[in-house]
Amino acid sequence: MVPSLTEGSQQRWLLTLLMLVIVALSLVPSLRLLMEALGDLAQGSEAPLWRVLQAESTWRALWRSLYTSGLGMLIALVLGSLFAFVITLTDIRGKAWLVFCFMLPMMIPPQVTALSWLQLFGPASPLLKSIGMAPPLGSPQPLHSAEGIALLLGIQSAPLVFLALRTSLLSLPRELVEAARISGARQAQVWGQIILPVTRGGLIAGGAMAFISSLGNFGIPAMLGIPAGYYVLPTLIYQRMASFGTGMLAEMASLSLLIGVLALAGVALQQAWMKRSRFGLMGHSGRAHDFSLGRWRGGVTAVLVAVLLAILVAPLAALVVSSLVPAVGVPLSLESATLAAYHEVIGRQGATWRAVRNSLWLAGGAALMLVLCSLPLAYRLLRLPRRWQSLALGAIELPYALPGVVLAVACILLFVRPIPLVNVALYGTLGLIFVAYLMRFLVVCLKPVAASLAQLDPSLEEAAQLAGAGPWRRLGGIVLPLVAPALFAGGLLVFLLAVNELTVSALLWSAGNETLGVLIFNLAEGGESVLAAAVSVLVVALVAALMLCLSLLAPYLPKGVVPWQG
Amino acid sequence: MAGLMIDRVTKRFGEQVAVDALSLDVAPGQFVALLGPSGCGKTTMLRMLAGFEALSEGEIRLGGRTLASREQHVPPERRHMAMVFQSYALWPHMSVADNVGYPLKVRRLEGDAYRRRVAQALDLVDLAAYAERSPQELSGGQRQRVALARCLVADPDVVLLDEPLANLDRHLRAAMELSFRDFHRRTGATMIYVTHDQSEAMSLADRIAVMRDGRLEQWATPEALYRQPRSAWVASFIGQGSLLQVAAGRPGQRLEEDTLMRGLAAVAAERTQPVLVRPEHVMLLPELSSQRGLRARVESATFRGERYELHLRLESGEALLAYHHAALVEGQEVALLLREGWCLEPDR
Amino acid sequence: MQQRPLTTVLSISVVLAGLALPALASEKLVLYTSQPNSDAQQTVDAFRAAHPDVEVEWVRDGTTQLMTRLRSELSAGVSNPDVLLIADSMTMESLKREGHLQAYLSPEREAYAAELYDPQGYYYGTKLITTGIVYNTGAERQPQSWQELTQPEYSGQVTMPSPLYSGAALIHMAAIEAHPELGEGYYEALQANRTEAQGGNGGVFNAVAAGSKPYGIVVDFLPIREAAKGSPVAFVFPEEGVSAVTEPVAIMQGARNLEAAQKFVDFVLSLEGQALVSEQGYLPAHPEVAPPEGFPARDGIVLMPLDTQSALAREAELKQRFGELFGS
Repeated sequence: MVPSLTEGSQQRWLLTLLMLVIVALSLVPSLRLLMEALGDLAQGSEAPLWRVLQAESTWRALWRSLYTSGLGMLIALVLGSLFAFVITLTDIRGKAWLVFCFMLPMMIPPQVTALSWLQLFGPASPLLKSIGMAPPLGSPQPLHSAEGIALLLGIQSAPLVFLALRTSLLSLPRELVEAARISGARQAQVWGQIILPVTRGGLIAGGAMAFISSLGNFGIPAMLGIPAGYYVLPTLIYQRMASFGTGMLAEMASLSLLIGVLALAGVALQQAWMKRSRFGLMGHSGRAHDFSLGRWRGGVTAVLVAVLLAILVAPLAALVVSSLVPAVGVPLSLESATLAAYHEVIGRQGATWRAVRNSLWLAGGAALMLVLCSLPLAYRLLRLPRRWQSLALGAIELPYALPGVVLAVACILLFVRPIPLVNVALYGTLGLIFVAYLMRFLVVCLKPVAASLAQLDPSLEEAAQLAGAGPWRRLGGIVLPLVAPALFAGGLLVFLLAVNELTVSALLWSAGNETLGVLIFNLAEGGESVLAAAVSVLVVALVAALMLCLSLLAPYLPKGVVPWQG
Repeated sequence: MAGLMIDRVTKRFGEQVAVDALSLDVAPGQFVALLGPSGCGKTTMLRMLAGFEALSEGEIRLGGRTLASREQHVPPERRHMAMVFQSYALWPHMSVADNVGYPLKVRRLEGDAYRRRVAQALDLVDLAAYAERSPQELSGGQRQRVALARCLVADPDVVLLDEPLANLDRHLRAAMELSFRDFHRRTGATMIYVTHDQSEAMSLADRIAVMRDGRLEQWATPEALYRQPRSAWVASFIGQGSLLQVAAGRPGQRLEEDTLMRGLAAVAAERTQPVLVRPEHVMLLPELSSQRGLRARVESATFRGERYELHLRLESGEALLAYHHAALVEGQEVALLLREGWCLEPDR
Repeated sequence: MQQRPLTTVLSISVVLAGLALPALASEKLVLYTSQPNSDAQQTVDAFRAAHPDVEVEWVRDGTTQLMTRLRSELSAGVSNPDVLLIADSMTMESLKREGHLQAYLSPEREAYAAELYDPQGYYYGTKLITTGIVYNTGAERQPQSWQELTQPEYSGQVTMPSPLYSGAALIHMAAIEAHPELGEGYYEALQANRTEAQGGNGGVFNAVAAGSKPYGIVVDFLPIREAAKGSPVAFVFPEEGVSAVTEPVAIMQGARNLEAAQKFVDFVLSLEGQALVSEQGYLPAHPEVAPPEGFPARDGIVLMPLDTQSALAREAELKQRFGELFGS
């Protein structure tokens, strides 16, 4: 179906080389961990690997990981598809704002989201106090539970489902819906019998990303699960880290292997399901179909706005409130409100600006580099035989599936000595975090590009070939413009995820190289929560400003690039 | 069966007028073609009939029921129509049988009755053996027939067809034309057929609406369109012919040989009436030396299998198309007679 | 387009090389510390003011992450830091046992009480961070002793840090268990009283200040500092006494810049360094330096005795028991 690369051509060689390098780089951290985990096997049953596999806590945490990630994935699917369907396929008003606000929570670090929700539902909640429903001091916190974790995980990864599904929906040919309508199907039947099954691929891809990102999420289970004694694999790893014993690294590596296996199983399952859902969607899909909501419009808009209020406005408001008080626990009033925290972080602590610069540099650089690599990589990957393709994709998926702390440990083990031959010392520099980000976020950029390429009509490239365009020219002049929206969407996603990234950089940073996520975390951990809240608000404002800039640039970019416009 | 009434329907897209006060009265069971070049508004009109576009002005009525007007818009799922799309619009996740049976499923028909009607429809288009296949496995012509079967099954009042033969090769097109005619005869449904191909329209339709820039140019049977086109533009769109200026006749009048020949012989300033002369009405005289006849020179001769097409140039400089059974040499002088001509309205 | 893969490779190398250059720096002191960000910055700044010729590169992380980082580096055979300034002496003791530290008999140690530093000079305590009781000023009761927290009135209302994450909490657990009156049954009693175990002290403080749990067990400087800013909390030094961590400083065995490392140790132990400690809101270890505002006088604080050696021996057992009690 896909035109193959000419045997022996220069393009084939270079692309294959690039692909091998990238796949190798993705595998290397996992292999290093594997080495570490298997290192002490000689100790027999006392070996860290066996200890971990035999401990009851391991299997309990494994089951809990699956449960919370699975439930979180379902929640993400519901939220994400609600927004994707309504915004892409109906004539609801204010689409640009709705999407903008829906994607904003992704930019708030998960720990901060968890914290603000905790405060929202706690006894000191300004919201609950004002409506007189604040629970008495010390009552049990409903969010400290498996369901609470799953809820926040779902909210955090809903934008991933949204983006994946939206791409699928935009390529749904108008005629398929019209044929159903003229056959007499009412709107509900069209949704359930035509639209959902045909765009199954987007749902599956989004759901898989949500599941895997929930699996490796540390911040939310740390904030909500630890106080309840509810451990999942990433927090169990963190606990093992705290034991400082000599077998600690091996135990951490063994637990990470478990997570890696789970993630790979998830990827395999996803690919099996996708096989049955891959429809070559031909047809004039110039414009997606517009369902008229009619008298439902008000109700649907209200539902969406309510969801946004819950997942965005409330946490943001809590964040802003907690940045304006002089100290934690002081109720906010006109007298107590102060901008002292902002003065402190903007004016006095040079760390803030350094962190902003570092994070923007890292996130922007990683996004740019991954955008450059994704197209040639996906192009080559799609022309591999099916089995190799699955293996390669699985290998690339791993660094994202592993919890950040584990990837960081692997990077330390790999890079603590200068790289041989080149003799470049990455350790202790921003470069190390950069490399870790590249490894981690590659799959985030690659997935939408690969999906877009797979849907490309091969006759487009063949026509160019006949016209005399060589392979590189075709790649640059035909394929690239058509895939550009997916490329930019992937790059944007990488940028948003990287700017707030915490768990990887937490272990890899050093003085002068802190990222925004690390800065916020350090401030919060050290008891300076007001400052942490102030920096968080600044981060949100910064990224929102960047997104607005992107909106202003939208007329000059290819259509569909900016997810919340057009 | 109810008649379809299109009453001064107008559609505007912002500043642009896509359909301009179109009025048609379709009798029940008629096969109507909307014919015109790209951009003439025929597809927009079809989509308004289906209910996918709302009209800006005017009314659409089926029988006594108003389907669309400025205040009202009945959605497509309640119009009881069927449509064959240019891209066939077969759902990729359903089998052929499921595709065909979908309108029945939506009307909650199940069990034996359902299966029987699906089988019947598939038999009619000769695709019973492919019932369990998926649409991706079929060829273009087969998909076309599945789409047709899907229309059959619902027993609709009106069947809409959007350039359904555009993606098929010549022989298949001929075979499908037969299928459509058969379909029409069998069901007696009112059929609205959009096309830019005039030979298709002529062979299939009972009446043709020729459209240009959103407006109705002529609404007539194929014979009438061919023999009595209203304007020069319609004349050039339908069939082949030549336009000559003569000093005789009024628009809408048929000129016989004598009048025509005399009108041609007149002085240039008096020759103000455009006349359509079809190539089959141009007779080449066997001898050049004869006194009768117009003089012309052969510019080119094209072999068409059943005859030669001759492009001739008259002394007055006008071009003339004629048919001939034998080949003629370029530059050869010939004498010819014009049997009849049709007077056209001047172009707007 | 033809050169794209090449350009990509080239640009990667250039970027990496450029970023890595700062790492190939000259003579400097590398400090690993678990102090909060701003405290660490102030300490380094003060040291550099006193010793302008020494460049300091410092890494700040929670004790857990810091030790993971250290262990990974050591496991790969690389010793990065010159000095450590981390939360608790038990961790230092274990590092000493494994031979990662080197002894240095600082002249400043004369002024200190003997139990505050390792006799052979492997590590020195720099401050006294005690663990006591904090309560929200809107709460019903004001607990004054550890025993009170096990009473039924406090059921489900108390939160505390976990020894699995916090060095101070670990020392606290060891000290409580060594106490004749409270002893081993204390933590079981806490668990039976539905006490909640948070991650670190920051989390405990936030919970109490925000009001989700009205009472907590937390390190002293947090509530005392924040109460001064208006936070609705109050800190209590309980009747039975408090446990203390000393945030020791030590020199790594593989230190590259031994001279600068020793200067650092001397600075932190000097009157100047200790005055800075007091400014930052901690109880200084040096007996002659005045404690900060909000703290009682030094002799007013009762310390629960703790034998670091035996505590270290029981470390794994303590953590395991805690983990079993409070879930994992």
